[in-house]
Amino acid sequence: MRALAILGLIVFQVLVSVAHADENLFGYIKGAETLPKNSWEIYQFLTSRTDKGKGTYSALDSKTEIEYGVTDRLTSGLSLKMQSVKSQGLLLDAYIPRDIDSGISPSGIEADLKYNFLSPAKDDIGLSTYFSLGHIWRDPHSGQEKDATQAELELLIQKYFMEGQMIGVVNLGMESTYAQRSAIKDLPAGFEWPIHPEMEIALKAGAALSYRFVANWFFGGEFLYETEYETQVGQERWSTFLGPSLHYGSEKWWMTLTYFPQLQGGGSIYAGQTDTRLQLIERTKQEIRLKLGFNF
Amino acid sequence: MAGFSYKHGILFAPMAISMMAYAADYLNESQAQKILFPEADEFIKKPITLSEAQLDEIKDLSGVKQRNKSPLIWAAKKKGKTLGLFFIDEVVGKHEFITYAVAISPEGLIQGVEIMSYRETHGGEVREASWRKNLKGKKLSDPFKLDVDVPNITGATLSCRNVMDGVKRLLAIQKVLGNG
Repeated sequence: MRALAILGLIVFQVLVSVAHADENLFGYIKGAETLPKNSWEIYQFLTSRTDKGKGTYSALDSKTEIEYGVTDRLTSGLSLKMQSVKSQGLLLDAYIPRDIDSGISPSGIEADLKYNFLSPAKDDIGLSTYFSLGHIWRDPHSGQEKDATQAELELLIQKYFMEGQMIGVVNLGMESTYAQRSAIKDLPAGFEWPIHPEMEIALKAGAALSYRFVANWFFGGEFLYETEYETQVGQERWSTFLGPSLHYGSEKWWMTLTYFPQLQGGGSIYAGQTDTRLQLIERTKQEIRLKLGFNF
Repeated sequence: MAGFSYKHGILFAPMAISMMAYAADYLNESQAQKILFPEADEFIKKPITLSEAQLDEIKDLSGVKQRNKSPLIWAAKKKGKTLGLFFIDEVVGKHEFITYAVAISPEGLIQGVEIMSYRETHGGEVREASWRKNLKGKKLSDPFKLDVDVPNITGATLSCRNVMDGVKRLLAIQKVLGNG
């Protein structure tokens, strides 16, 4: 509860202290547009991840990002990640070693660049590339200590329909992660907790469509497929999420709310997992993401 | 539903704040008429309903679909003589419709463009005379292409394109309806 109060305060302070806006139409799928030169933008993301099908599990991720338009085509960003993980009655060998109620704390930093090749408004189709480099020191799933360096590269395609009243976006991406967990004392007898370095490669493909149904308000849907490959086991897991997005954009600021339930998943499952249609080791049954953006 | 809890209340709280609206209306109808046709002594509204064939012709001529079958058009007159047509039109902006007025001469040339309302984050420059002057004197046969014969405004490309395309569409309407 304390964590939520802190996050609420952050959101409130951002709302009252900054006065301008741009927009992200979707919670998970990125658009191809960049910021104008010399303009700034602040984002606040809040993502709730809940339910692994056993015990109780809830996690809250926060990402606060500031972006700057280096040129009309190149946008740079820096972000601070925070997270809280609360898990009870859910012991997953090699993944969740014990109950935890971590509270909110800083968990990582990230820098990103987005370069626009074709403008979706000026050219027939918009095309951008996105690159991010990040480091986390908390495992987002177990809440335990884990050092991971992540590099992500994406291709972003955007198309305006009906003079911009409807917008379609496609993302294709790859993320590489080098990670190493810290040792944990007093693990349950026989519990596996690998602490050797791991290398993972994740591929993702996503698409989204949004329609402006009245002035300022957009409604749409987004889809995301992700699959991960690990050095020793090959394809380790995959998942598909599909859900609706509601977006409000005004002259001063914007917000996007996405409900993202897992449609189907596969790969490794945990012992005793009842719903084997889903990937529940490193995913949850659903996510809800709120994004707020302010321009200045 | 297991996924929802009291915690999600925080996610929905900003919805209420989002109901705030921002308005930026700069000109009303008579003000825009006075600016675009200062010498006119009378504006006569033309009650027009475009046929399907006319809508198709407008699309063919301008490359843009005319959504409204009843465009707002006035004939600007001075001592009974037609000076040109005065249009009020709307195009899609990034968040809201952009309302603008256009004056077209009987010869089919743009005499002026005025932005009546604009509510976007970036690109307020479309209201500036320095941008709008690029549309003055244009005729239907001109390219109407951003960064070719009309400059783009960074951060407001969609607004620029839609206003520019809208002006071309109004020239097509003027041609389809005739000059008077």
